[in-house]
Amino acid sequence: MKKPIIAIAGLTACSGCQLTLLNCEEELPEIAQRFIIDYFPLGLTERLITGPIDVAIVEGAVSTPSDLEILMKLRNSSHSLVALGTCALWGGIAAMKNQESRKDLAETVYGSAADGLKTFNPQPLHRFVKIDFAITGCPPETGELLATLAALLRGTFPVFPHYPVCSECRSRENLCLLIERNEMCLGPLIQAGCNARCPAVGIGCEGCRGPVTEANVAAETELLLKKGFPMDEIVSRMQRFYPEWDYEQRS
Amino acid sequence: MARNLLKRDSISFFLEILATFGKLHGPILTDDGVLAFRPLGSGNDLLLEYSRTLVPPKKYLLPPRDAVLFFAPDEWYHQLAAAVPETILVGLHPCDLQGIAYLDKVFLGDRIDPLYRARRTALTLIGLSCEPDENCFCGDLSATETHGCDLFMHQSPGGFNLKDNTPKGTAILDRLTPILAEGKSLPAVSRTCDMAAAIQLASVRSETHGESALWDEFAERCLSCGACSLCCPTCYCFDIREYGALDGESTVRLREWDNCLFKDHGEVAGGFNFRKSRQERFQYRYRHKYLGFGPTRGIASCVGCGRCRAVCPVGIDLLELFKERQDEKQP
Repeated sequence: MKKPIIAIAGLTACSGCQLTLLNCEEELPEIAQRFIIDYFPLGLTERLITGPIDVAIVEGAVSTPSDLEILMKLRNSSHSLVALGTCALWGGIAAMKNQESRKDLAETVYGSAADGLKTFNPQPLHRFVKIDFAITGCPPETGELLATLAALLRGTFPVFPHYPVCSECRSRENLCLLIERNEMCLGPLIQAGCNARCPAVGIGCEGCRGPVTEANVAAETELLLKKGFPMDEIVSRMQRFYPEWDYEQRS
Repeated sequence: MARNLLKRDSISFFLEILATFGKLHGPILTDDGVLAFRPLGSGNDLLLEYSRTLVPPKKYLLPPRDAVLFFAPDEWYHQLAAAVPETILVGLHPCDLQGIAYLDKVFLGDRIDPLYRARRTALTLIGLSCEPDENCFCGDLSATETHGCDLFMHQSPGGFNLKDNTPKGTAILDRLTPILAEGKSLPAVSRTCDMAAAIQLASVRSETHGESALWDEFAERCLSCGACSLCCPTCYCFDIREYGALDGESTVRLREWDNCLFKDHGEVAGGFNFRKSRQERFQYRYRHKYLGFGPTRGIASCVGCGRCRAVCPVGIDLLELFKERQDEKQP
């Protein structure tokens, strides 16, 4: 079997998604043996994108000229590009305040030094390049990351189900925080795959995995309003990991 | 008079004797406050009066996520021959017994599912009579309340009148005799419920409610969270997926609960979807549940347990369709 040549890169993000890979301690020797890792600044001393690359796996949002340069280089030298994690796929935490003035935000943090910053609103990868596959999550689940690597060995991508967190939550026989506790749980809107990690310990879904296919945003919003949550609180919670919800969307 | 009365103060002896037949499971209240079927003992106390568990007993026969096949280059596709432990499921309400009886039709009918059969054979069912609450609508559906169960516990003022229905149940009853008192044999309860009657009638007439405005209304509100079918004792739709291992060779094939309100349910290769809109998916759900199709055509599989009404976050209730039809008949 020909070893796939992969690149693993991080743009504007916390490196947590790449750490998810490094945390797969048991599997790392097998991964090192099955793949040629061509570019991986977090884990390799060599830092040149030489290409050609079979699959580039990219964490983070695009918010600086250098992010964009790395992304373009990887896209140009790779057969496939995989968005790794919520920032790369949806914008994530960094994009939370994209509706506000970039200039004001920069000044709040950096004061007078803000003038010299060459940054723009953090955007997901697909705004700039074509992506071939995505592994969502903040951080992604190791199981989905490993399943993706295993599929790459077979020259394909895995199929993950497109249902919301509620589905896994019910299967685990958790107490429904939305119905039984009237808590703000985003489970019905959010892509599953985490096995309802938070609701299982009594914490409402915060939405870290981003929107599920055909999310009924309008119905969930109506439900939360009916439960007495003010709209600004709902919006603030929903924008934590994805700033561009369409609150009128029903399917 | 026969020795068939289990007095309430003999319950612990009863459970001890039952435990000699297999691992005991029954309804309990979890630490989170959820009614669930769990292994009994070590702090998990059997509930003899409860409304309904969140997830029905189908999980014992068709687990939410199940590895059904494994692949290895030298062994091709194979099942792991894991021994299924003998399990005694005690405290099943008639609706849940009906649910299992329906699943038996599907998985042990024209094509036998070997995994289901192995689990079903290892399962002993002990039924328990109940009182309906505001979400129940089993009615006549429970007239054959002892259907399919090995032993039935009929609550009475003196305790529980036991009735065996299968050789397995008789063997258990024989062993229980020393702790039983003499009791009357109670007649099977016949319950009437207008809603259950309306459902039966609609089913017999193949009523599709095609013109109802409720379909659009349901589709507008539905969150596609999947709770209605995950918690339904007779919803058995599943999805099959296969994942490779990092060795690049071996794989595992999973069977997982599916839901007809999910987009993927009617989606096939190339992205074509048989039921593009949520509205179409609702009608499909209705037709499968109340009219049946394929080998189960003409069999309504709704057992009236009320779970779908209780677990829907936005209060969608398919019974409104039948109510609408009833209202039309009123002058």
